[in-house]
Amino acid sequence: MKLISSLLLLVTLSTSIAANENESENEKAEPWLERLATSLQTLNFSTSFVVVKNNQAEPYHWFHGLDENGHELEILSLLNGPRRDVLRKQGIVSYIEPELPPYSVTSQQITGPIPAVFRGDITALGKNYDFVSVGRSRVLGRPAQLIRIVSKDPHRYGHWLWLDQKTGMLLKLALVTRSGQLLEQIQFTHLDITADISESLQQLQQTTLPKVIEIPDGYQEQVLQWQVKWLPDGFVQLNANRHRISSTKQPVEFMLFNDGLVDVSVYVNPSEDNQRATDYVMDGATLVLNQVVKGFEVSVVGKIPAITAKAIADSVVLLPNSTP
Amino acid sequence: MSVNKFETVSSIVDNYQPNDELFEEILNDSHLSATWQRYHLMGDVMRGETSDVIDLDLSSQIAAAITDEPTILAPRTNNAFTSKLKAKVVQFAKPFGQMAIAASAAGLMVMGVQQNTAETDALLPASQVVKTMPFGGTAEPVSLNFQQTSRPSEKEAFVEQQRRFQALLSDHQQQIKLSSVVVNNTPKQDKAEESAK
Repeated sequence: MKLISSLLLLVTLSTSIAANENESENEKAEPWLERLATSLQTLNFSTSFVVVKNNQAEPYHWFHGLDENGHELEILSLLNGPRRDVLRKQGIVSYIEPELPPYSVTSQQITGPIPAVFRGDITALGKNYDFVSVGRSRVLGRPAQLIRIVSKDPHRYGHWLWLDQKTGMLLKLALVTRSGQLLEQIQFTHLDITADISESLQQLQQTTLPKVIEIPDGYQEQVLQWQVKWLPDGFVQLNANRHRISSTKQPVEFMLFNDGLVDVSVYVNPSEDNQRATDYVMDGATLVLNQVVKGFEVSVVGKIPAITAKAIADSVVLLPNSTP
Repeated sequence: MSVNKFETVSSIVDNYQPNDELFEEILNDSHLSATWQRYHLMGDVMRGETSDVIDLDLSSQIAAAITDEPTILAPRTNNAFTSKLKAKVVQFAKPFGQMAIAASAAGLMVMGVQQNTAETDALLPASQVVKTMPFGGTAEPVSLNFQQTSRPSEKEAFVEQQRRFQALLSDHQQQIKLSSVVVNNTPKQDKAEESAK
């Protein structure tokens, strides 16, 4: 009798534990992402990764560390082709690129293949994305935890992250459609975590960064003639301006939107054609969509599905009291 | 006992004169005679009297092994009926086989043609990474109404479109770099200033 009752107790206990585990699946993933953010901000690391897209690979070196005053130092370099380096120290980010003379901007984060939000407040994504802890696997010779950032609506792609169980560092990142098709991935090929900052970062401490470019007040909050009427939930406007596209000198009205994880650009300009059918290309996960309707060209660029981009492009309207 | 026999063989090799009975026994026992041959070979090798190539005659052993091997496949039958049936089956199957070969050859040709066009496509825009996909050409489950872009003659338009896409892509990346100024200034800058103080 005693045995039976204890068995019963055991069964009820184990089932209740199982139920709890199911409930806490989402909560289990968030600490992993918080740990990743802390690691990316505080560790002295020197690492290499390869961005794989369109059947080609782009190799990068990435260094990060804290100087004796606790200020972050960071270098990101593309290793193939013409030099592309991003340097960061003390709230200034410098870009060295073949297209433009070196310049700096005031910013706390570099813009590169890895979304900046991973080193920031990941909980802000919770409104539009679910975090799912999937399981363990082996990546870069280390035991890794797979965390999926899954969009709550069908308008966005998912991000899959493989995180080092020991340090919380990113070991692999994949951009995946809702049906599970892989679009782009970043595979780390080497990771060194050290007590002291690397030599490259010591050199960065001595380097004088290029001049910070001044962006006039209000330049990025201009009132434009054209407006985007539909965007997936959670996208906010970061920038609205008129500028010329540097390579074609085409003047455009430009809007940049961001949902915390992905950036979407919308361009509107008059076109020589009266009508041109919708056409798009994919660069890895980045989509460039373009169409001409009634003499106006609308383009959408970002890591979003083609249907989402098409819907955004179709929602662009001329404000009633303005003349094109 | 058998160990004894081997010893006997060994002593005969070493010029000991055995009696005839023993000799007979060795000659009749294939195993022992093989040993006899082997011992002589060993002696020759030790005395350095062998030729450079030692002719270990494996052919007879291999031949023997093959004849001894059990037949795992279908048993051999000499039945006239089955051989007739077999001939029929072969006749029947042959045309199909030929057709299959023809079909696969055609498949190869189609593949070859596709390969060629793909290569010429890749040559067209020299520095372009991206490739155009007409919006309607993919298997997107949409009910959107639009014409598929099919302008095979308009190479210029295609190149122009590629250039446009490339320009948009790089401008998009440029604008993100400039806009990150706005995004993160508010909460994080304060933090940085606080820590600086």
